[in-house]
Amino acid sequence: MIAVVDDDASVRRGLARLLRSAGYRTQTFASALEFLERRAGDDPACLVLDVRMPGLSGFDLHEVLTGEGLDVPVVFITGHADLSMAGRTVKADGVDILAKPFDGQALLAAVERALTRGQPSLVRLASS
Amino acid sequence: MEGLSGIGYHTPAMKAPAVRIAATALLVAGAYYVGANIGFILRFPPATPSVMWPPNAILTATLLLASPRRWWIYLLAAFPAHLAAELGALPASLVLALFVTNCSEALLAAVGVRWFSDAPTRFDTLRRVTVFIVAAVLLAPFLSSFLDAAAVTALQGEPYWVVWRTRFVSNVLTGLALVPAIVTLVTLGGGWIRQAPWRRHAEAAVLALALITVGIVNFAGPFEGLGAIPGAPVTPLAFLLPFLLWAGVRFGPGGASLAFLGTALIAIWAATHARGPFIDLPLAESVVALQLFLTIVAVPLLCLAALIEERGRAQEALRERLSFEELLARLSRAFVHLPGHAIDGAIETWLQRLGQFLGLDRITIRRFSADGQTLAVSHSWAAPQSQPVPLIVARRDLPWAVRRLHEEQPVVFTRPDDLPDDSVLDRAWFRRTGIRSGLILPLVGRRVFGSLAFFAIAAERAWPEELVQRLRLVAEVFASSLARQEAEDALRASEVMKSAILSSLSSSVAVLDFEGRVIAVNENWTRFACRPGAWDAHAGLGISYLEACRLAAREGVAHAAEALEGINAVLDRSRPIFVLEYGQGDRWFAMSAVPLDRPEGGAVVSCTDVTERKRIELDAQRSRQELAHFTRVSTMGELTASLAHELNQPLTGILANAQAARRYLDASPPDLGEVQEILGDIIEDDKRAAEVIQRLRDLLRKGESQQIPLDLNAVVRDVAKLVSSDAVIRNVTLTLALDPDLPVVNGDRVQLQQVILNLLINGMEAMAESGGDERPLVVRTECTEAKGVHVFVQDAGPGLRSGTQELVFEPFYTTKAAGMGMGLAIVRSIIEAHEGAIWAVNNPTGGATFHFTLPGPGERTA
Repeated sequence: MIAVVDDDASVRRGLARLLRSAGYRTQTFASALEFLERRAGDDPACLVLDVRMPGLSGFDLHEVLTGEGLDVPVVFITGHADLSMAGRTVKADGVDILAKPFDGQALLAAVERALTRGQPSLVRLASS
Repeated sequence: MEGLSGIGYHTPAMKAPAVRIAATALLVAGAYYVGANIGFILRFPPATPSVMWPPNAILTATLLLASPRRWWIYLLAAFPAHLAAELGALPASLVLALFVTNCSEALLAAVGVRWFSDAPTRFDTLRRVTVFIVAAVLLAPFLSSFLDAAAVTALQGEPYWVVWRTRFVSNVLTGLALVPAIVTLVTLGGGWIRQAPWRRHAEAAVLALALITVGIVNFAGPFEGLGAIPGAPVTPLAFLLPFLLWAGVRFGPGGASLAFLGTALIAIWAATHARGPFIDLPLAESVVALQLFLTIVAVPLLCLAALIEERGRAQEALRERLSFEELLARLSRAFVHLPGHAIDGAIETWLQRLGQFLGLDRITIRRFSADGQTLAVSHSWAAPQSQPVPLIVARRDLPWAVRRLHEEQPVVFTRPDDLPDDSVLDRAWFRRTGIRSGLILPLVGRRVFGSLAFFAIAAERAWPEELVQRLRLVAEVFASSLARQEAEDALRASEVMKSAILSSLSSSVAVLDFEGRVIAVNENWTRFACRPGAWDAHAGLGISYLEACRLAAREGVAHAAEALEGINAVLDRSRPIFVLEYGQGDRWFAMSAVPLDRPEGGAVVSCTDVTERKRIELDAQRSRQELAHFTRVSTMGELTASLAHELNQPLTGILANAQAARRYLDASPPDLGEVQEILGDIIEDDKRAAEVIQRLRDLLRKGESQQIPLDLNAVVRDVAKLVSSDAVIRNVTLTLALDPDLPVVNGDRVQLQQVILNLLINGMEAMAESGGDERPLVVRTECTEAKGVHVFVQDAGPGLRSGTQELVFEPFYTTKAAGMGMGLAIVRSIIEAHEGAIWAVNNPTGGATFHFTLPGPGERTA
C-alpha cells in the first residue's frame, strides 16, 4: 500500500490514480496530521510526501516516523524545488525528491526504486 | 418786534464799571438841578407847584433806564442837587418833604412800568405806551400828589386840593413830555444819529424848524390875532397838530415825544408870558387849560406813534421773515439735487449768506471724530476780524452741550449765564472764546454726527423759538446733504476698491444680475472671453450669460449645458456654490459661481485657467500609478515562489491525471468511468491555473483608475487566495472574518487589491521578523455607521515602535533591510485618493492592526 500525503486534493487524486493504474493500492491524506491519526495498523510500503503543507511539513513527518523507528521508504514531491532544500535532503537521507510538475513515469520509477531498495541509498534529483 | 424780528435785536452790553456809574450819577444830579431851576422858572407864584416840574420826570426816566440794584445810587445823587436848587427858595422841612414826594413818584412810576411792561424803556407798542401812560404818567403823580399836597398845605398853608390838582396836572404833562424823550434819546438817540441816512437828518431838522417857527408865530408873532377868532379860541394850537402828527408818523414815539416836548415848552413859555390862546382866562386857569390841552393832545399822539411804529415793525418783521423764508427756500432748493462734490462749496456759500442775513459773527459746522471725543470744524464762515475757534474736545470744553447734542436737543443762550448750573465748563469755554450768544444744533444722520453752531460775538442776541425752528430746518438740510455726500464718497471708495480687486484677480470675473445679465467684468474677463473658441465669448457687459450658455449648449459645446444649469441653480439660490472643471482644446478651466449676497440677487462667475495645476495633478497621478505598478511588479517578484507553487499544483494534478488516464485507456478493457472522472479533474485544474494567471494579470495591469461599485469582501478574498501559498510558506495562518452584510462602495478594484495585498505582505513580513511559532494574520471587514467599509488587518508581529504610527505611511520609511519603504505609502495614497482614512495602532495583546475606511455613498464629495 502506498500512502499519498498532499494538501492539494487534485494532486492527491491524480497521483493516487496514477499509482493505482500501475497496480498499487493507495491511501490518500490531506495532511501529515491526518496521516498520523488515520494510519491504522497497516503501515504503508511507501510514502509519497508533499514537502510544503500547512502544519507539519513532509520532512517533519518523515522525522517523526523515523523517530518512531518506522523506516518507510519515501518519495518527496515539492512545488518549491530550490537547491538549499534539495541539499538538506541529500545529506539526511538520499531519497528521491520530485519537483512539481513531474512526469508520471518518473514518480512510478521513484516509487519502484524506493520499494525495491527498501533502504534509502541514493540521492537523485529530478530535473525541474 | 416779536416773531422773527428777533433778528437784528441787539442788546447793548451792560457793562457798568464804577466810573460809569459815577458819571451817570453826576449827570443825573446835574440834570435834576437844571430841571429844578427850569421848574422854578415855570412856576406861577404864589402857588408852589410849577407848570412843568422836570426833576420828577428825570428821576423816573433814570430809574426806568437803570438797574433797580443801582436806584439808590441815583436817588442819593439827586439829593444834593435837590437841596442846592431848593434850599434858598423854600424852607428846609418843605425841601426835604418835597424830595421824598418826588422820589416816591419816580419809584411808583418805575416800579409800575417795570411790573407791567415787557420792555420798560421802549414806547413802540400800544401796550407799552398804555402801561407807561397809566402807571408812570397818571397813577404815580396821582398817588404822590396826595403826599405832596399834604406837605405843602401843612408847611405853607396853601389850599390842599389846589396844590394837589396843580401838581398832578403839571407832573402828568412833564411825564408825558420828558420821560419818553429822555429814554428815547438815551437808548436810541446816539444810534439814530450815527446810522440814519442824511435824508432823515434833514427831514428831522426841517420838522424841528417848522415846529418852532409855527409855534413862535402862533404864540408870539403877528398872527397872534388869529387866536381871537370868535368861537375858536384854540385855533393857533391846531396849527401845530400837523407837525406833531408828522413827527409821530415819521419818527415814532421818540420823535413824537421830542416834538411834543418842544411844543409844550413853547406853549408854556407863551402862557407864562401872557400870550397864546388862553390869555383871556385868568392866569391860573389859562395854565391849567393849556396843560389839559397839551395832555389831551399828547396821549393820543403817543398812542398813534406807537401804533404806527408797531405796525411798521410788524411789517418789517413780516418782510424780514418773508425774505428769511425765501432764503431758506432757496437754500433747501439749492441742496436738493446737488452732486456730492459740490456740497462742500455750497455749504460754505450758504453759511456766509445766513451769517450775513442774521447779522451773526460766526457759523461753524463741526463733525465728531470717529471716537466721538472731539469736534473738528469742517465748514465755517466768520465775519471779518473774528478769531478762529480751536478744536473742541468734548469732555474738556463743552461736556454739557455735547450731551445735549447727542440727545438731539439744541443748545440756545442769549448769554452764557442763561445755561443751567451743570454747564460750568461750557459757560467757561464760551466766555473764554468770547462768544456772547449762541445756538448750537445737532446734525443728525443715522445718528448725531456733528453740530451746526451760530455764534454772536460782537453783541448779545436773542434766539426766538421760531428762528430756532427755522435754523433746525437748515441743520436738517445740511445734515442730509453731508450724509448723502458721505454715502456717495463711501460708494465711490467701494467702487474704486471693487474695480481694483477685480482687476487684480488673475481669474476672469463677471458679475451677473438676477436674470444672468453681465453687469460687471474685470479686464481678464474681456481678454478671456476673446480667446478662440470660448463658448462664453460673447458674454460682454449687458449680455445675458445664461443666453450665451444656452446658445453654446445648443451648438453642442461640452459643459455649456452643465454650466447653464449650475449658474441657474446659484441664481435661484438652490445651490450655495457651483464649480465646474472642463477641458477645452489643450487647456483646462475651472468655473465657479457663487450668489451675490444682496436683496436683488445675482451671482459672481469666475473662470480660471487651471491647465498648469491640472497638468501637475495628472503628472502626480501618472507617477502614482507608475509607482503603484512598479511596486506591484516588485511585490510579484517577492511572490514568485508562491505563485509558482500556485501554478504547479494544478499542473501536477493535470499531468498525473493525464498520464493515469492514458494507462486506463491502454488497459483492456479500458476503464472509461475512471477516465471520465480524470477528465473532470483535469478541467477543474485547468480552470484553477487560468484563475491564478488572471489574478496575476489583474494585479500587474497598468491602467487608469476606474471607480466602480465593489464588494470589498470579494477583493479581500481574491488577494487572500493570491497570498495563501505564501502564507503557508511563511507559516502564517491567514484568517478572514468578513461581514456578510458589507455595503457596496465605489472604488478601483485593482488599487484596492493592491492595498490589501500590501497590508497582508506587510503583516506577514512583520511576523517573519518576530520569529514566533504562532503567526496569525486576521483580516476583518465591518460596516461603518455611514454605510462605508472598515477593514482591519491584524498581525502578531513586534508591533510599531512608539511614535512611528504616522511615519510608517511615509514613503521610503522601512524597518526591513531589503524593503523599499513604498508599500504602505502606496496604500495611503490609494486610500486617500478614495477619500478614505488609514491608520495603524498596536494591539494590546501584541502586534499591530492596520485600519482603513472607505466612505459610504453619502460621504463622498465628488
